[in-house]
Amino acid sequence: MPTNVDASPNATTLMFDAIGTRWQIDTADPLSSTLRVGIADLIDDFDRTWSRFRPDSLVADVARSSGTFDLGADAPAIFALYRRLHDVTDGAVSPFVGGRLDALGYDANYSFTQRGIPSPAPVWDEVALLVGTRLTTTRPVSIDIGAAGKGYLVDRVAELLHSAGHTAFTVDASGDLVHSGEPIRVALEHPFDPALAIGVLTLGGGALCASATNRRVWSNGLHHVIDGRTGQPTRSVSATWATAADAATADGAATALFFTTPSELSAALPIQGLRMFTDGSVEYSAGFAAELFR
Amino acid sequence: MHIRSRQNAAVALAGLAVIGGLAGCSSSTAPSGDADTQDAAPAPESGAEYTDGEYTATGDYQSPGGAESVTVTLTLADNVVTAVDVTGSGSTPNAKKFQGEFIENISAEVVGQPIDSLNVSKVAGSSLTSGGFNDAIDQIKADAD
Repeated sequence: MPTNVDASPNATTLMFDAIGTRWQIDTADPLSSTLRVGIADLIDDFDRTWSRFRPDSLVADVARSSGTFDLGADAPAIFALYRRLHDVTDGAVSPFVGGRLDALGYDANYSFTQRGIPSPAPVWDEVALLVGTRLTTTRPVSIDIGAAGKGYLVDRVAELLHSAGHTAFTVDASGDLVHSGEPIRVALEHPFDPALAIGVLTLGGGALCASATNRRVWSNGLHHVIDGRTGQPTRSVSATWATAADAATADGAATALFFTTPSELSAALPIQGLRMFTDGSVEYSAGFAAELFR
Repeated sequence: MHIRSRQNAAVALAGLAVIGGLAGCSSSTAPSGDADTQDAAPAPESGAEYTDGEYTATGDYQSPGGAESVTVTLTLADNVVTAVDVTGSGSTPNAKKFQGEFIENISAEVVGQPIDSLNVSKVAGSSLTSGGFNDAIDQIKADAD
């Protein structure tokens, strides 16, 4: 728990599971029941639009048939961010890798059974065009916003807290973290051993997002970070971290760092990045302000 | 472009090797003798003792956009590089880009320390998964036995 929140007699911790991961929200002041309901509704609405695993979601409709779909108020920001990530990684980061994840076995039934030969994700401009909030597709496509969607939702939850008057809080969606208030120290988990850290980052405000291939692994190097150009799981980079003003950008950057260098990415997006390779070495942009253990 | 960072000797020396590579590009037009060294330059033998102090060298190289240079300043203390200061002339957009990439991508070897021993309030790593994912993996493992 954040130290500044601990110090408050009114500190509240809210923990729950949503969108396939563990959430923890720490606030210095109590969370009203209205706000708790608001957070639950926000996450539920988001899930109903974007979950690849829900047959009643909007993206499930998009995966079933081509056409025009209103993806709602969040779509423009999410697709704009994806476009930048897509362009800076030469197409490696794509919102259309859902079909590839399915084929590798990361599907709604968690079958973890690979089907077919890996193939590239559909080319963005050939299959889909977003105008306003409406997506028009030329054929059924499986949208997966796993690269930045969780961070985006963390930002939305943080906005709710802000607008309810909270100024000291941490929203931690397990890997995607937004903090407001006195600085907190965050350990950078070692991708080979979750009991170890490779460094500590002091987060004064804003977002720190991490991505690693060690937990969502099912067999023989199959995991959930997919290169849209090959449809194959990435290799060699084992963990990434990115800081940014908002969690959507940091989350997307953490994924993009599997495909591009920290300095290249920090030149294209307002982020700082660190990545660790399977050989145990790291590479980071000059502004990534963490204490690393040598 | 001016970036200062502190890191260990291995990293800094790896950086110098790259500078050498850049300077080497220019061998036909700008001999490496152009690089000037201030203060006492120690003999670069392995296992040698180095004199503490600040060392500066400038490497010139010829790029398609014209002559460029990179200046590196190292601070040595007890045979360890305690500070590295790299300044690129970067007069053309490409030079800025490439020098920026070189300067900003810092590489290092890291070691793990027990999280329990650190005074931290959060851990940032791979996403913890909710029950469904782990239950499914457990089921598959059980079926495979």
